[in-house]
Amino acid sequence: MATHSVLALYSDAEYAAEAGEALDNAGFAKEDYDFLTDTPYPEGALGERHNSHRLYVFPFVGALIGLTAAILLTAGTQLAYPLVTGGKPILSIPPMAIITYEGTMLGAILFTVIGIIFESRLPTFKKHIYDDRITEGLIGVVVDCDDDNVDRAEQILTQAGAEEVRREAA
Amino acid sequence: MTTADNNFDRVQLSVDGPELNSRMVTEQVSRDFFDVTRNYKLVIAVLGSVFLIGIIALIFRFLDGFGVSERAQWGYYSAMFAFLLITAGSAPLVAVALRWTKNHWRRPFSRVSELYAAVGLFTILWFIPLMALLPPLEGRRSLWVSSEFIGVPLWWDFFAVLGLVVCGLALLILSAIPDMAVLSRHGNGPRAKFLRSFSGFWRGTQAQWNYHRIGLTALGAFYFMLLVMVQTMINVDFVMSLVPGWKDSIMPAHQALTGIQTAIGLTLVTTFILRHTGRYKDFIPMESFWSFSKILLALSLLWAYFWFAALITFWYGRTPTEQNVLKTFMFESYRIPFLLNFFFSFLIPFLLLMWNQVRKSIIGPTLAGASVLIGAFFMTIRLYVPALGIEDPTGHALKAVQPAMLPDVLDIFIILGGLAGAALIYLLASRIFPILSIWEVKEGLLYSRVRPLLRSKFLVLGKPE
Amino acid sequence: MQEGKILGYKTINRDLLRGLFENPVKYWAIVMFLGLVVFIAVFAAGFMVNRGIGVTGLNRPVFWGFFITNFVFWIGISHAGVMLSAILRLSKAEWRRPATRAAEVLTIFSLMTAVLMPFIHTGRPWRLMYWVFPYDFSRGIWPDIRSPLVWDPSAVNTYLLSSILFVFIALVPDLAVVRDRSSGIRRIAYSVLSLGWRGTPRQWKLQAIAGILLSALILPVFVSVHSIVSWDFGMAVSVNSWHSTIFAPYFVIGAVHSGVSGVVTVMIFMRWLFGWEDYVRREHIDALGRLLIVIAVAWFYFFAMEFLFGIYGQEGDELATRSLQMFSAPWGWLFLAFIITSFFFPVPLWLFRNVRRSFLWMTITTISVNIGMWLERFIIIVPGLARKQVFTQSWYTYAPSPIEIMIIIGTFAMVLMLFLLFAKIFPLIPLFDIKEGQILTDEIKVGRRKVPAVIRED
Repeated sequence: MATHSVLALYSDAEYAAEAGEALDNAGFAKEDYDFLTDTPYPEGALGERHNSHRLYVFPFVGALIGLTAAILLTAGTQLAYPLVTGGKPILSIPPMAIITYEGTMLGAILFTVIGIIFESRLPTFKKHIYDDRITEGLIGVVVDCDDDNVDRAEQILTQAGAEEVRREAA
Repeated sequence: MTTADNNFDRVQLSVDGPELNSRMVTEQVSRDFFDVTRNYKLVIAVLGSVFLIGIIALIFRFLDGFGVSERAQWGYYSAMFAFLLITAGSAPLVAVALRWTKNHWRRPFSRVSELYAAVGLFTILWFIPLMALLPPLEGRRSLWVSSEFIGVPLWWDFFAVLGLVVCGLALLILSAIPDMAVLSRHGNGPRAKFLRSFSGFWRGTQAQWNYHRIGLTALGAFYFMLLVMVQTMINVDFVMSLVPGWKDSIMPAHQALTGIQTAIGLTLVTTFILRHTGRYKDFIPMESFWSFSKILLALSLLWAYFWFAALITFWYGRTPTEQNVLKTFMFESYRIPFLLNFFFSFLIPFLLLMWNQVRKSIIGPTLAGASVLIGAFFMTIRLYVPALGIEDPTGHALKAVQPAMLPDVLDIFIILGGLAGAALIYLLASRIFPILSIWEVKEGLLYSRVRPLLRSKFLVLGKPE
Repeated sequence: MQEGKILGYKTINRDLLRGLFENPVKYWAIVMFLGLVVFIAVFAAGFMVNRGIGVTGLNRPVFWGFFITNFVFWIGISHAGVMLSAILRLSKAEWRRPATRAAEVLTIFSLMTAVLMPFIHTGRPWRLMYWVFPYDFSRGIWPDIRSPLVWDPSAVNTYLLSSILFVFIALVPDLAVVRDRSSGIRRIAYSVLSLGWRGTPRQWKLQAIAGILLSALILPVFVSVHSIVSWDFGMAVSVNSWHSTIFAPYFVIGAVHSGVSGVVTVMIFMRWLFGWEDYVRREHIDALGRLLIVIAVAWFYFFAMEFLFGIYGQEGDELATRSLQMFSAPWGWLFLAFIITSFFFPVPLWLFRNVRRSFLWMTITTISVNIGMWLERFIIIVPGLARKQVFTQSWYTYAPSPIEIMIIIGTFAMVLMLFLLFAKIFPLIPLFDIKEGQILTDEIKVGRRKVPAVIRED
C-alpha cells in the first residue's frame, strides 16, 4: 500500500527518462511511477508504461442510443400527428434519415467526450502531488511507494539529476 | 541531382522497415523492367485472346445494327466507355494531386497511377463508334447553346477526350523521362536502345530538374481541369440530355467524384498486385496504403453524400419527371445495379475502412479499392444503359418509367474484351515506362530517416519547402 | 516550411497568456465599442418584436430577406472551424497548430449568431418552440419532421453542441497552464474547469486520440449542417433557381470558402491585437492562402455547374429569373460585385507568393471574399423569391429597412465581441500544441543543405 508520493522535477526530458529507467532497474513496478509533462511527448519516448484504453467503445454505444432515440422521435411525431403534407407518406424515410443521422452523430459525439474524460481518469477530486512549474517546462516524475521505499526512491530520483525532490503523504 | 546514384546512405522508410539506398532502387527496377517472365507472357496471351473475342463480339454487334435508331442495344458499350473514362481516365489524378501536396507517401504510387494515361489510347478508340449513336439535338435539352453550333456535341466531345488523352500521355512521358534515362544505361538490347533514343538528352542537370518539376505541375493542372470538363460533358451528353426533363446539376460532379474515388481504388489494386508479383515490396511500405485508405474513406462518404443530395431533392420535388427518373435509375427498373452500386461504392468501403486495424494494413485498403471499382462499374450501367435506351429524348418531361435492359451474350463479351484490352495496354506500356517511379522513390529516400527520440525510435520526414 | 525560432516554454506561456493577464486600453476600447453596436442591435430587435415585422422590408412574396441571408452567411463562417481544425488535424499538417482553436471558437460564436437570426426573423421568437421541439403533449400537434425547417435546428444544435465540447476537451490542458499561473478565485475557477489535469502520459495519449476521433466525428456533421441549410431552399419546387440537386455541396464549399477566409482575417487581427508575431507567421497565412486557392476554384466549379444547369433546362421562367439575377438593376450590380469580390479579385492575387505572405493583402482579400459571399446568399435568396412563379399572385421587390441593417451590423459586432471576450478568459492559441510542435521539430541533412523535418508519431 502506497503511503507516500514522491515528486521529482527535471529540466531535461533525457534525465526524466533516465529516472524512469533507474526506477525500473531498482524494482519499482511500472504502475507505481508516472511522468507529468507540459506537452505530449510522442508515445513511448519517455519509456512510460503502456496505456490501454477502451475509448473506441464509447462512440458506438452513443451512436446506437442516438440512433434509437432519433428513430423513435421521428416515427413517433409522424404517427402521433398523421398529417399528409405535399403528398409525402407518413413515415417518410428520407427526412427521417436526415434527423436520425443527426441524432446518431450527436449520440456518438456526446459519448466520445464522456469517454475521453472518463478514460483520462478525470475529473479528479483528490489532491495529488503536483508542482506549478510543470506547466513551465519542467518534467515531473511521481513515485507512489510505501514507507520502506521512500528514501530509496528519493535517492534514485536525485541521482538521475532532479532539480528538486519533494515528498507528501498519500 | 536527386537521382544521382552516389547517395549510398542506407535509410529506412518506416520504423521497422528494411534499410534501403538509392542504388537498390535502380537495380531492382531495372532488373524487373528488362526481365520478361513467363508469367508476364502468359497473362499477355490470355488478355490478348479475351480482347480478340471481344472484338469478334463487337463485329457481331455492328452486324445487328448500328446508328441512331439502333442505339438502344449499344447501351452496355456506352457504359463500358464511361467506365474506362471514369477509372483509367481519372487514375493519373492521384499522381498529380499528391505531387501538388508534396506528400512523401505518394512516391511508390505515382507511376502506377500515371501509367493509366496509356489506356487513354484505348478509350479514345472505344469512343469513336459512340459518335454515330447520339440523336440530333433538336427539341431536347443540352449543354450546348444551340444545335446549329459547329460540331456540337460529338466533335467537341471527341476533341475533349482526345485532349485529355494527349495531355495524359505528355504527363506520363515527361514524368518518366528521368527514369527512362536511368534504365537505358542499365540494359542492352532493343528496348534499352529505344529508351536511349527517347531520353538521351536527359543528364539530370539542375536546370533540367527544374523544368521537369514546372512541367509536371503545369501538365497536372491541365489534366485536372480537362478531366473534370470531359466527365461533365460526357455525362451530360450521354446520360442526362438523353432523358427528357432530367435536370440534375450534381450528377456530373458525382461522376467526377466517382472518378477520383476509383482512381484511388485502381491505384491501390494495381500497387497491391505489383507488390506481390514484382520485387518492390521494400519500396512500398504499408504506411502508404494506410495514408491512402483515409482518403478513400472520405471519398466513399462523399459519394453517399452526393447521391443523397440528388435523391432528397428529387424525392422532395415529386414532379412526374423526378419520380420517373428515380424509379428508372434507382428504385424500379435498375434496382439491382443501383443496389450493387450503393453497396460497393459506399457501404462496403465504409464498413471496411471505418476500422483503423483494417486501414492500417495492405489487404484492407486494397479490398476497399476493388469494391469501389465494382461499384463504379454498376454505376455506369445503371446510368448509361437506360439513357441510351430511351426512345424519344425530346420534350420537357420523362412521361413513363423505362423498362430495364438486360445484357445479352454479346454485351458480356464486349465488356470483358474492353477490360482485357485496357489491361493489355497497361501491361505493354509498363515495358516502356518503368512502373515504379525511380526518381520519386529516390527523392523520398533523401528525406526519410529513422531516429531515436529519448527512449523510442520515430520516423523523421524532411519538408524541403 | 518552419521558419520560426525555437521558443522556451516560459516565453510561450508568457506570450500566449498575455491576453488573459494584461489589460491593454486598446483591447477594452474595442470591446466597449463593439458592445455599443450590439446594444443598438438589441434595441432594434426589441423594437421589431414590439411593433411586429412590418418594420422590416419583408413583404409578399419576398418573405426571406436580410435575416435569412445573414443566417446562411454566419452558418457559412461557422464552417471554417471544423473544416480547418479537423482536416488539418487528420492530415497532421504542422502549420495547423496556431490556427485550430481560433477557428473552432469562431465556429461556436458564429453558429450562435446564426441561430439567433431565424429566431429574430420569426418576429415572435417564443413561438419557435412549437415548431421545432416535440413537446406539445396537451394538444397533440407535433412538429412536421418532413419539413426542412425542422431538419435545420436538429443539425445546427448537433453542430453547436459538438463544437463546444470539442473546444472544451482541447482546452483542458491549457486551462491547467492558466491554473498554475493564477491565484485566488481565478485559480479555483480554472482548477474546476481543468478537471484536475496533471499531464500524465495517459492523459496526453487520450488528448491526442480525442483530437483525431472528435475531428473525424464532427466532419460529417459539419457537412450535413450546411447541406441542410441549403435544403431549406433546394426542396422548394416553386421558387425558380432553388430546386437544384447541387445546392448542398455548393453551399458547403461556399461556406468553407468564406469560413477559411474569415479565419485568416481573424488570425491577422488577433496577431495585431495581442502581438503574436512569433506564432502567427507568414508561413501560416501562406499555407492558408494556398488552401484558399484550391477551395475557391472548387467553389467556382460548383457555382458554374449550378448556373449552367439553371439555364440547361431552357425553361422560360427559370431563364427569366437568371436574367433578373444577372442583368436587371439592382441585382445585376450586386451579382457583378459578388463574383468579382469573391473570386476574380482575390484568387488571381493569391497566386502570387508575395500576396500570400503579406498580412495586409491577405486581410484585404479575405474580407473581400466575405463581402462577396454575403452578396452571394442575398442574390440566391431574394431575386428568386421576388419573381416566384407558382402559387403567387404578386411580384414585388425588396429593400432592407434601417431596423434590419442595424441588426445585421450588430451580429458582426457580436461575433467579434464574443471572440475577444473569449480571448480574455481562455488562451486562443493552444499552448500545448505549439510546445508539441517544437518537440517534433527536427532537421535532415541533404548534401550541404539542412532541411527542416518533422517527427511522425505513426
